[in-house]
Amino acid sequence: MNTRPETVIEVSNLVKAYGNVKAVNQISFAVAKGEVFGLLGPNGAGKTTAVEIIEGLRTADAGMVTVLGMDVSKDVRSIKERIGIQPQQPALFPTLTVQEIVNFFRSMYKKSNSASQIIELVSLQESRKVLFKSLSGGQQQRLSVALAFVNNPDIVFLDEPTTGLDPQARRAMWEVIWAFRRTGKTVFLTTHFMEEAERLCDRVAIMDYGQIIALESPQRMIDEHIRESTIQFKMTNCPNPEALAKLTGVTKVVNEGDEIILQTNNIPSSISALLELASARSSKLSELFVRQATLEDVFLKLTGKRIRD
Amino acid sequence: MKAFTNVFLAHFKQFTRDKGALFFTFIFPIMLILIFGWVFHDPGAQTFKVGFVDQGSPQSASLITQGLDSITLDKNEKVFEIRKGTVDELLQSLRDGDLAAVIVIPESMDTSIRQGQRTDVQVYYDPSRTSSQQILIPILNQVINGIDRQLQGSSQLIGMEERSIQSRDLRYMDYLLPGILAMSLMFTGVYAGLPIIQQRQAHIIKRLGATPLRRSMLVFGDLTFRMILVLLTAALIVLVGRLAFDVKMVGNWLSFCGLVILGTLVFTSLGYLMAAFVKTEEAFIPIINIITMPMMFLSGTFFEVTNMPSFIEPVVRIMPLTYLGDGFRQIMVAGTPLHSMTTDIAILVGWAVVCLAVTIRFFRWD
Repeated sequence: MNTRPETVIEVSNLVKAYGNVKAVNQISFAVAKGEVFGLLGPNGAGKTTAVEIIEGLRTADAGMVTVLGMDVSKDVRSIKERIGIQPQQPALFPTLTVQEIVNFFRSMYKKSNSASQIIELVSLQESRKVLFKSLSGGQQQRLSVALAFVNNPDIVFLDEPTTGLDPQARRAMWEVIWAFRRTGKTVFLTTHFMEEAERLCDRVAIMDYGQIIALESPQRMIDEHIRESTIQFKMTNCPNPEALAKLTGVTKVVNEGDEIILQTNNIPSSISALLELASARSSKLSELFVRQATLEDVFLKLTGKRIRD
Repeated sequence: MKAFTNVFLAHFKQFTRDKGALFFTFIFPIMLILIFGWVFHDPGAQTFKVGFVDQGSPQSASLITQGLDSITLDKNEKVFEIRKGTVDELLQSLRDGDLAAVIVIPESMDTSIRQGQRTDVQVYYDPSRTSSQQILIPILNQVINGIDRQLQGSSQLIGMEERSIQSRDLRYMDYLLPGILAMSLMFTGVYAGLPIIQQRQAHIIKRLGATPLRRSMLVFGDLTFRMILVLLTAALIVLVGRLAFDVKMVGNWLSFCGLVILGTLVFTSLGYLMAAFVKTEEAFIPIINIITMPMMFLSGTFFEVTNMPSFIEPVVRIMPLTYLGDGFRQIMVAGTPLHSMTTDIAILVGWAVVCLAVTIRFFRWD
C-alpha cells in the first residue's frame, strides 16, 4: 500500500483490572479502514474485555480508545450509531419472529438497511415469520450476525460469527464478510477457528494474559515463527532414523508407530532426497502428506495452548 | 419515539404470545371472582352482628334499634343483627371478634334530648377489621345522623321507612372484587421484574446495550405497557363483576384509574427492586411467591382477616396490598374520592418512592 490507510480504531495503553487480575494489560494497536482484523487468544486471555471496551460496553481503567475518530469514553452513542456488534451468545427475544426482531433493531438506529436486505444477507427469507426460539441453532446464529449489519455500519464487530454453523453456512458467512470488506468497510473479528482467521483476516493479533504477543498478517506470522514444515509418510523396508535425519533439510525425525514424521526447512529438497532414498532401497512409500505450518501451530508455539482448550 | 414505540410493541407481542402470562393476568382473576362468587353466592352474606347496650334511655334506644332494623338487603334480610347485653360482656365479644361493633346509648340521652341538648351515642369497633371501617361505621353514622336530624326538626317521632340510607347491597362480592383487583395489579406489577431478569440472564439486555437505544426507553416502554395492561385487567374485572354479580361502582372513574396507576407504580417498582437483587429466573419465582402469597392472604383479598396474632398486625399494616385493596373498596363501595384517602395514598406513594430509590441504587443492567 502506497498511501497510509485511514485508521478507524486506535487503542493505546488500554488497562482493565478485575481485583488483582489485569484482564487487559497495556495493549495498543490500530485497525485500518477496509481491513479484516482478527483478535485471537485462549479463553481468559482478555479478548472479550478488550473488545467490549472498544465497543463502548465497558469502561477502561486507563488508556484511550478512539473509534471512527471519536473517543469511546465520550461519544459512545454516536459511535454506536455507526458500528455493528454481534456478541458471542445469539441471545434475542425468544417469542418474537425473525422479521419482528430485525425491525426492532432497525428502529434503534437513525439510518438502517431494509428488513429484507438484512434477512436475505443470511438467507433467512423462509424463516421470516418463525419465532426466534423455534429457529435452529445455526439460524439463530445467522440472525444474530445479520443484526450487526442492520445499521449499515462502518465497522462490524463479530465475535465467533461461525460457531454452530455447518461448513456450507460457514462458507456463506465468509462470503458475507468478504462482500462487506469489498465495500471498503472494516471487520473486527474474534474467532476460535484458526482456519477462519487465516482465510479471512488481513492481520491478526494474538492475545494472552492481557497482552498482545503478536500482531501480523497470518502468512507473515507463520513464516516468522515457524520455519519448518512437516512431511509424513509410511515406508516399507524403513531405514533407521539416523539415515532419515541426514536427508537434505530435515531437522527432526519422529517415529509414531509405523508412521514417520520429518520436520524440514526445505520441502522440495527433502522430498526429492526422500524419493531417491526410497528407490535406492526399493522401499514403497505410502500415505505421504506434506503439511505447511498453520496459524494453529503459531498459536500453539506462542501461547503453549491449543485454542479450543 | 420510534424506539419507544418499538420497545412497547415488543413487550406487547411477547406478552400476547406467553400463554402463562395471559392466563394469570386475565383468566385467573376472573376465575377467582367466579369461583368465590358462586361458592359464597348468598347475597345476604354481609351482615353485621352488633352489640347494643341501653344504659337507661328507652326512647332513644328504640329509635336507634328501629333505625338499624330498617336497613335490609334485597330479601328483607336485616343487615344488623342486634345482640343486647352489658357493656363489659359485649365489649369482650367485640374483642373476641364475635361482634362487629358495640353501640352504647348513654343513660342521660332521653333527658338531654328532651332538654334540647345533644348527646353522643358511643360506638365501639375494631379498626383493624376493614369492613367495620369501610361499611359499618358510615352506615351507623348515617342512621344516627338521620335520627338526630329528625329529632331536631320535630318533636314527633317519624318512622325511618322513608329514608333509605342504603343505596347498595353490601355483599361478599362487593368486598371480594376490589380485593381481586388489587391482587391482579400486584401480580402484574411484581412480574415486571421477570422479563428484566430473563433478558439480563440471556444477555439480551447486553445486546440491546450495543445499540444506541437508551435504557430509560426500555424502562418507559415496559412501564407504559404495564399501565395499559393493568387498566385492561381492571376494566375486565369491573365488567365481569358488573355482569355476573351486579357489583356497582359507586365512586368516580377518575379516582379509580388514579388508584390503578398508583398501585401499578408501587408493585412495578417492587418488581424492579426484585430484579436489582435477584439474578436468575429460577430464584425469582420462589422469592416472588414468598412476597406475594402472604400479602395476598393477610391483606384480606378473599376474606377479612380478623383476630390476627399481634405480631402479624404490624406486618399487615405495612403491606402495600392492604392499602391498595382498602383504597379500591373505599372507591367502589363507599364512593370515597381518591384525594381524601390520605393514609392509603401516603403509604402507597411511600412504597413506590422507597422501592425506586433502592432500585436506582442497586440495579445493574449486566
